[in-house]
Amino acid sequence: MKDSVISANNLSVAYANQLVLNKVNFSVAQGQIFALLGGNGAGKSTTLKTFLGTLKPQSGSANILGKPVHQHINTSRKQIAYLPESVMLYGHLTAIENIQYFLSLADIKQSVQQIEDALTQVSLQPQAWHNKLSQYSKGMRQKTAIALALLRQAPILFLDEPTSGLDPAAIDEFNQLMSQLAQAGSTIFMVTHDVYGACQVANKIGLLHQGELISLFNAEHNQSIDTETVHKAFVRGIRA
Amino acid sequence: MSTLLIIAHDEWRYWRRSKLALVTIIISIVMALTSVVLTTISVADENHQRAHLQQQAEQTFVEQPDRHPHRMVHYGHYLFRNSTPLSTIDPGIDSYTGKAIFLEGHRQNSATFSNQQHSSQLTEFGPLSPAFVLQTIAPLLLILIGYSAISRETEAGTLSFLLAQGLSYWQLLLGKVAALFSVNLLVLSPFILGCLLAASHGESSAIIVTFILSYLVYLLVWTLFIVAISALTNSNNSSFAMLICCWLFACLLLPRIAANTTQYLVEQPSKIENDFAVKAKLRELGDGHNSADPAFLQLKANLLAQYQVEKVEDLPVNFRGIVAKNSEAELTKILNTFAKEQMQRELKQSTTNQLFAWLTPALAIRGLSMQLAGTDISSYHKFLREAEQVRYEFVQSLNKAHAEQLNYQTDINRYQDSQALQNARVSANNWQILNNFEFKPFNAEQRLTQSKLALMQLTFWLIILAVFLGLVGRKSQC
Repeated sequence: MKDSVISANNLSVAYANQLVLNKVNFSVAQGQIFALLGGNGAGKSTTLKTFLGTLKPQSGSANILGKPVHQHINTSRKQIAYLPESVMLYGHLTAIENIQYFLSLADIKQSVQQIEDALTQVSLQPQAWHNKLSQYSKGMRQKTAIALALLRQAPILFLDEPTSGLDPAAIDEFNQLMSQLAQAGSTIFMVTHDVYGACQVANKIGLLHQGELISLFNAEHNQSIDTETVHKAFVRGIRA
Repeated sequence: MSTLLIIAHDEWRYWRRSKLALVTIIISIVMALTSVVLTTISVADENHQRAHLQQQAEQTFVEQPDRHPHRMVHYGHYLFRNSTPLSTIDPGIDSYTGKAIFLEGHRQNSATFSNQQHSSQLTEFGPLSPAFVLQTIAPLLLILIGYSAISRETEAGTLSFLLAQGLSYWQLLLGKVAALFSVNLLVLSPFILGCLLAASHGESSAIIVTFILSYLVYLLVWTLFIVAISALTNSNNSSFAMLICCWLFACLLLPRIAANTTQYLVEQPSKIENDFAVKAKLRELGDGHNSADPAFLQLKANLLAQYQVEKVEDLPVNFRGIVAKNSEAELTKILNTFAKEQMQRELKQSTTNQLFAWLTPALAIRGLSMQLAGTDISSYHKFLREAEQVRYEFVQSLNKAHAEQLNYQTDINRYQDSQALQNARVSANNWQILNNFEFKPFNAEQRLTQSKLALMQLTFWLIILAVFLGLVGRKSQC
């Protein structure tokens, strides 16, 4: 088995003494796409925030490349690219300016041509590239953020409901892009409640319910995970 | 480019594209420039006028014809106080205290002709001095520009995205501090030019450097505070409201509370009370115009014994002149005692007021700025003391001429007829007693020593705000 790039070891997180994640364990190897599924309040966002270093675990650890994030926040953050559900880029800047700014903060040098290539790759229309982001739709902002994630060339991608707000064609393009990235060696962690989307793209799925990881599904022999099986487990978990 | 500069550069880009911030920055610079230019022109004009009036007053005095010397004692003379080079930046209490003083026998007059007396009373507004702009207006403008530095990121959700790029919270805080501090440098640039102009007019370089650094520290204190509050609050509205409340308290309310409390703690007798007390003491001395006053019997006896004569008419000196001289000396001792007590009370008020600077940095920079510029109360006292020294010497020189150059008989019979009045005069050569007076403030070393407490208070504020930002940074980091 390959070394895990992302792992949760008995990860427990509490808000105001109320346990939100309870001894969660999983690991994601290099090149894998891991989808964390769960209903509202299951603890998906909490898990994500813990890996991003904005929440501290009560016990256990969230690890990036084997190191606990809360002890190595800055080095961990340098390894990841994060795509939030509501893409929060700067409204007063254009797509290219936004990408240039965030790349410069991450100390990554990319030419304007490379940025334009990335924007083309995510299917953002060229006539929009020099408009301010305050004029963009949610989908266009999402594409800008995906382009940024691509350009950061980070080995690990954290995605929060990445396809929400995208049209079906854009979802297909996005899924293809994720598969390509994974094949190229990127490790992808996404949280979503879209069972079908997750089964289409992920080769490992975790089912989270009330802070506990109740099921883990693995794709075998380059086959997709069976949507029906995951869906049943998902609904059973919610009704339990 | 370092991360801090990248963040600062982006903040400037945001300000350029946000009309409110851009307008505020332009207003800050225009206001700073205007106040410096106007005050510099006004002070240069006043200094020119004062130099002219001083020369005119001296010329008028020495050009007086032959007269009775005591008439010249009451004719009097004017002294004018030159502004210090840095008063173009901080006029301090010069706007409220007088800049000219009328010197005459038997009295210590107050200084007159302050700017407040002849210009601003009708509008009830003080002048827009560069110091006022820096101490009070600049923090407000900084708040308008920087209140959303971090809260904007929190409110819009870009903060977590920024941090996810590998940026540390500290880098973000310090980048915003650097951006806001660069606004300070821009606003300060007209003042720095004003300071360099003051240096060219003879101000010590040590004072100029300390003066500029003090204002930089003061504005840095506000910058740290604004960024810390912006980081501490979750919305732009609450950040703005909290900062405006703090500004009101620190820059407007607390200085006035301090002034009122100081007046309550260190009481000053009213001018009328003080004048009555002085008059009562002076009455005990006798009337120096009347040589027959019983108060001078002992003086008369001593003189007659000294010169071994029986009548004042036989004395080789004019007894009336001796009485005037003696009376002036005794009277000056009393006036100086009262003046010293008054100055001590005023200094105590000033020192007590300065203690409130531990509660607001606005009072720390205010005291420090006036002390360094030489426009504080102790500098005004120095002018009063020097003016009194000139007054005493000039009156006693005339009394000496009265005693030695005018015959006693001629003097007492001067109102018999017009010829007698003509005879009771001394030569106009006796009026050549005025030395060129030019007021000089305390030297650089003395002013730096005087400003030690205020310097400590400003340093205290810098440390407190650095620690505050540190705590906010640590709290918000994870």
